[in-house]
This record gives sequence, structure tokens and C-alpha cells, in this order.
Amino acid sequence: MIEFLQTHLPALVGGLRVTLQLTVGGALLALLLATVAGLARRSPSRWLRWPANVYVEAFRGTSALVQLFWFYFALPFFGLSMPALVTGVLVLGLNSGAYGAEVVRSAIANVPRGQWEAGRALNLGERQILFRVILPQALPMMLPPAGNLLIELLKNTALVSLITLSELTFTAQVQRAATLDTVPLFALTLLIYFLVAQVLAVGMRSVEARIARRRGRA
Amino acid sequence: MLQKLRFAAGALAIVLLVAWLWPRPGELDGETSGGDTLARIRASGVVRVGFANEAPYAFVDTATGHLTGEAPELARLIFRQLGVPEIEGVLTEFGSLIPALKAGRFDVIAAGMYITPARCREVLFSDPTYAIGEAFIVPDGNPLGLHGYRDLRDTPEAVLGVVTGAIQLRYAREMGIPDARIRIFPDAPSAVDGVAAGRVSAYAGTSLTVNDLLSKTDAPLARAEPFEDPVIDGKPVKGFGAFGFRRNDRTFRDAFNQVLKATIGTPQHLELVEPFGFGENTLPGDVTAAQLCGAGHD
Repeated sequence: MIEFLQTHLPALVGGLRVTLQLTVGGALLALLLATVAGLARRSPSRWLRWPANVYVEAFRGTSALVQLFWFYFALPFFGLSMPALVTGVLVLGLNSGAYGAEVVRSAIANVPRGQWEAGRALNLGERQILFRVILPQALPMMLPPAGNLLIELLKNTALVSLITLSELTFTAQVQRAATLDTVPLFALTLLIYFLVAQVLAVGMRSVEARIARRRGRA
Repeated sequence: MLQKLRFAAGALAIVLLVAWLWPRPGELDGETSGGDTLARIRASGVVRVGFANEAPYAFVDTATGHLTGEAPELARLIFRQLGVPEIEGVLTEFGSLIPALKAGRFDVIAAGMYITPARCREVLFSDPTYAIGEAFIVPDGNPLGLHGYRDLRDTPEAVLGVVTGAIQLRYAREMGIPDARIRIFPDAPSAVDGVAAGRVSAYAGTSLTVNDLLSKTDAPLARAEPFEDPVIDGKPVKGFGAFGFRRNDRTFRDAFNQVLKATIGTPQHLELVEPFGFGENTLPGDVTAAQLCGAGHD
């Protein structure tokens, strides 16, 4: 057991580092894209609405694995060759961002219309209503599905093993090729994913609790 | 006070995490391709070689983290003579080696890849560095009596496992095994686990891959003995492994070939590859890439 861990754990921790780089980088990009695209999809201007619609439908509607292959193996033929890590963060972020945009859009849509009307009655501008009245109420509704997406993103990073990045899953494959310890090695890999997902889940719940408390005080 | 302490601890944890995750020098190096590859790698002193982690051809020795195997060791020897002191491995799936080479993700395929006419349309090959036959891994005692592709074809309940992108799929099809009885695995360890778990009746690989895998596993598996090499177009096939180059890197490939020709079969070469199970009996003779590629390609 000790010997098994000594052989495999250092390599797996190196792989975990890449997995976390992808998760954190992808999540930050996704947060930005989800906010921008989610708001743009509700915009009255078609010049904002249309590009956001195209983005969301294109990235939700095609396979993340194929997108990854395309960005990594096909884009260089059009003169754009990004390092593997950048490609991974970009594709994972674009993908989660597309799902996240729907979370943002639906949470805003779920704030009762009367809130907008009340804002207008108080002579607030549209932007003021959005940022001061609507978003503070929509945010708590976004958090549980956003936590879901974050854990989904963590697990999607395993796809990136197919573009030469040695993240956790790929490292496990390499270790397995050296010793053929298939069963214990994949069991350990599952456990590592599970523990990281638990940390993310607990983190998201504490953010939810904190926002609920702040709202209670306001 | 307690709250301040908690805040400080949290901030510290985040700073440490970010510092650990922050890309180290070299991790974000972009790839440049095209142009004169040989001049570029001579100037930088580093050549990037693609491999698929298949022992004994090209693999990472997990004890040392060092890229080794028949192809990388030979590549080191030859690139030193070409004035490139260092080789750097880029690990990818076997089926992605050619797309990644073409996309400029590395400069040479050093994975012991067999020369085939279909691959010759995509990449340029060096002359072969070894020639070997085929083998099956089967459950102990070979319950279905599979001693070659022909036996497998003639045993209706037998299912063959092969690795994605590998030559054995072509052998299986040419020998008339229906696709419904072929399973494609992402890598050799998965195929071996497939035999052990009863998902396939046999795994088809090169004889050296098979020896290497069997030396590592404790599962009740064995090499199918005796073994009949597949016969295609009237002759028993042998695999000839070589290095792969981009099609516009002809001068690079030719320079490599020149050094290769002077190296293959020398005592220095044999000493280098013997630890991996290669030797006098796996030398390719005077077979060239042009002969193996067929008309119109080299």
C-alpha cells in the first residue's frame, strides 16, 4: 500500500496541479463569459443579442471533445497555434460559459416583473434597476446551478488528456502503462476527483450561506 | 480577532494555491512550425519528439521521469550528431501523433511507428530502424485456440482487441475479420485489461509490445504460441518502424536519414537498443521507406 502510494502519488499530484490549473482558469473565463453572454441575451439590442445567441448555441450544441481537437489540431492550419494549456482553458471556459450564460439569463428572468416596474416607478434608470434591484435578487438563484457547473468543469478537464496535457486522468493512464495496476490506480484517481469536488461543493455552499446572511441583514 | 485570523489564513491559502498553480517557465511555450525545422532546432538546441508512451518503443520511465525506449534513445544519438544536444518529449495518444505533428505540436514522431502507405500520404518517414512480427495476448491456456488472425477470423465467437490508430486494425480487416468482431481500445493497457476482463478474446500487438505488457501484468494471460503472422498480398507481413517528419521537412528528413544509415547496425546502436528487446534479429536490412510506402510516395 505504502509502496503503491510512493510509486504513483507524486505523479498524480503533478497531474492534479494541471487539472486544477484548468479548473480555475476555465472557471474564471466561464464566469466572465456567462455574465456577459447572459446579460447580452436579454438585451433589447439585436447587435448584442445575436452574437450571444450564436456563442451559446454553438458551444452548447457541439461536442466539447471535438471542439478541443479542433482548437488544438485544426486551428494551427489557420495560423493560430496556442499552447496546450491555453487551448484547454479556452475551450473549457467557452464551454462552461455557454451553459453559465443560460443560468444567468434564467435567474434574471425569474425575478418577478413587478421589480422592474417598481424600479421604474421610483424613477431609476434601466441600468440602475438591473444592477441595484434585479441582480442582487437573481444572484442567490444562480449559485446552486453555478456550483453544479463548476464540478462539471472539474470533471470535464479529463477530456484535455487528449491534447497532450498530462492532467490527472492522463497521468493515471501513464502510471498504469508502466505497472498495469489498473484497479487501485483508477480507484485512487476517482478518490482524488471526489475530494476536490467536495472542496468545491463546500466552498460554493459557504458562498451561498454568506450571501443569504448578507441579504438577511440588508 | 478570530475573524481577522480566519481571513488571513484564507488569504494565505489562496495565495499559496495560486503560486502552486501559476504556470512555470516553459509551460506556456507556444509552438512554432513550418520554415526550416532543422535550422530552428539547431539554433535552439532542442528538438521536440512526439511519443505515445508505448513500451518498449518510446515511454516514460516512471521511476526517473525520463523519456526512453528504442526510438528516443536512437533519436538522441542521431540528433547529437546533427548538432541538436537535447530532445524533449511530447506525450500524446497514438492516434493523435500524426495530426499533432502536422499541426506543429512537435518536430518528429519518435514512437517506433510502422511505415504504411496510408501514413506515407500524411508524413515523411525516415528509413526503418527495426523490423518485427506480430503477436496475440490471450487468456492462459488459449481457450479458443487462437494462433493468428486466420484462426480468429474462423472462430465466430472470437473478438479481437486492437489499439486506436495502430496497424493491427488494418491487418485484421485485410485478413477478413468483420468490424463487428473488432474492438478498438485507446491504448495497449486498456486492451490488455479488456482481455483480462473477458471483453475481447485476444489483443493483437507487435511481438515486443506483447512481451513488455506480459512482463508487467499479474493477470492470467499468455502470449499465443505458436503464432502465425498475417499474410497479406501473398507475403507474411512484418512491421518496419521509423521516425516521422512533416511533409515539408524533406531536407530535415534527408539529413536525418544520412546519419541514420551510418548508425543502424553498428555495435553502438545495438548496445543502445538491446535493453528494450531489440537486437541483431530485428535489424531492418536494406529495406527503405520508399519501398514500404509504395509508388508515388517516399
